[in-house]
Amino acid sequence: MLNPVGLVAALATFFGIWFGHVAVRKIEFDSPSLWLPTAVFATVGLALEWFSLVTSNLLLSTALGIIGITLLWDALEFTRQQNRIKKGHSPANPNNPRHARLMHEHGAVTNLDLLKRDPIGKPVSTAEAIKLITEP
Amino acid sequence: MNFFGLTLGILTLLIIGLGFVWVIRGERYFGYLWWPYVMGFGEVLIVISLFISSIWTSALLGILGASLIWGSTELKEQAVRAEIGWYPFNDKKILPPLAKIIEKWKAPHL
Repeated sequence: MLNPVGLVAALATFFGIWFGHVAVRKIEFDSPSLWLPTAVFATVGLALEWFSLVTSNLLLSTALGIIGITLLWDALEFTRQQNRIKKGHSPANPNNPRHARLMHEHGAVTNLDLLKRDPIGKPVSTAEAIKLITEP
Repeated sequence: MNFFGLTLGILTLLIIGLGFVWVIRGERYFGYLWWPYVMGFGEVLIVISLFISSIWTSALLGILGASLIWGSTELKEQAVRAEIGWYPFNDKKILPPLAKIIEKWKAPHL
């Protein structure tokens, strides 16, 4: 008999990370408030951990336990993502008032995504890094 | 109370934390072209987990496998970060077998 626990744990881990990776970037980009998504993710994460603790179903406990902790981590990632925006390591959204304020306060903030390209195998200056993503 | 899921969740966090370290170090010393091997290794671990009867070992192998697959999709972006200078750049990388062929493939990024 095949043991499905590892596969369920793997799927929960992979899709948990994927969802968090995309959702944190997207929501932080669009949301004027940081505390609201943080509070929502923390609440849902805690609720899933509670269900994971009280269920007697092993596979459900596995999936909810992993996804719940991942969401709790994502709650912290909203602040970490804002810090990446401040450093210019992730693109800012000028239409988001919170980002517009950051653009005003921190010189490094940019609406360019410097990572949106393939590696070229050598170090580049800031000017070259911008050229690589803006010139076809 | 069933602490299996909560404990796995915390262990998942630690394993993902290790992912940050190996993606950064691995890209620096070996380069992002290792991604298909890392992805394949992660898939093998998940398949092995199906044949392990211990629920703890099976679950941890699955989590480790999934984390390796995720990390394999992060290597390309990490290579760009090092080129920009956000991380140290090393030009003497130990390239994988068939690097010339892998170079022509589109590296995954999610």
